[in-house]
Amino acid sequence: MSDSLVALVTALADDELVLGHRHSEWTGFAPQIEEDVAFSSIAQDEIGHAAALYGLVASITGDDPDRLGLGRDQNQYRHAVLCERPNRDWAYTLARHWLYDHADAVRLAALTDTADERLGALVNKMRREERYHLIHADTWMQRISQGPMDGRTRLMEAVTETVPEALDLFEPIEAEDDALKQGWLPAPSDVLRARFVDETSGALEDLALPAEVRSHLQATEFVASSSGDLIDEGPSESKSSDDKSSSGGRSGNHTSDFGRLWSDLTHTYRAHPGASW
Amino acid sequence: METFEVFRRSGHKSPFEHCGAVIAGDPEMALLVAKECFLRRREGDHLWVTRRSDIHSFEDESLLEIAADKSYRFAHAYRDVVKKRERARERAGKAGAQ
Repeated sequence: MSDSLVALVTALADDELVLGHRHSEWTGFAPQIEEDVAFSSIAQDEIGHAAALYGLVASITGDDPDRLGLGRDQNQYRHAVLCERPNRDWAYTLARHWLYDHADAVRLAALTDTADERLGALVNKMRREERYHLIHADTWMQRISQGPMDGRTRLMEAVTETVPEALDLFEPIEAEDDALKQGWLPAPSDVLRARFVDETSGALEDLALPAEVRSHLQATEFVASSSGDLIDEGPSESKSSDDKSSSGGRSGNHTSDFGRLWSDLTHTYRAHPGASW
Repeated sequence: METFEVFRRSGHKSPFEHCGAVIAGDPEMALLVAKECFLRRREGDHLWVTRRSDIHSFEDESLLEIAADKSYRFAHAYRDVVKKRERARERAGKAGAQ
């Protein structure tokens, strides 16, 4: 009954933890000292959200939030693969930050109507910080997309490359049908994905990035919105249209990039069981 | 990139006070990074940024020195006023009695 709630909250928490960890790898290396502080702060926010969400899971299952964050095997994490990718350069980091935070905004907006009051309260708190993340990402995107050719080109390439994995943020969660039935998740993942596609392709148009940057999104828009329509007729049909992505991060399938991140992230926890600070 | 001076207000009845500077491409970006640099620990509730180049000051600081005796501008220069007034009242009283 509450299993699907646990699955939903775990997926949210794992996204925030793993991406927050990637963001934190910029600490000391960001393009400017001011941005270093700001981006590190965003990383802390994301990890703080993960901690709060693990706390919610723990209160349901009686588990320990630290163990949930740091004591699981790699294939027990339910984040999207997008979150585990290495930072590469600032263009990729920014493209991912922008796509992720827009996706996050879409799903958090939907989750304000969740049937679980604790999750609803947490989501409202998170949204207050996520608003800043969104402004931060938008402001950077505007600056780089209107700036000199080199940065603009690198950003366009990064966005184009990142879009397919960003769409997998809306890979259905485990036991999604039950989460929908119970009202934990107020809208199906592919409806949320269609909203995300709609919003971000509009935003990319406003940024005056060339049409080919949006082509990935728009190619998927047709599929996503048509499968969104199918949802009304029956959830089983929408699932079959999602065969490709149903085997990704939300089912615990991760890349070797996560292996390296995981061993770094969990090193201290594994080396000193039961330690506190 | 330009330098922006950052002013912070510690409460809604307090004045904005200078708290530091950030380097940024424009005012909007300066505000975004200033928030995380200067309001991380609830130090205040509001921020201003302004281009350092928009701040005007004196080229010759020696103009600001107070060269001559301006003791009359300070309260301590008037410490004997109370006594002087008492003496004046005394004199006025005597004159009235006569």
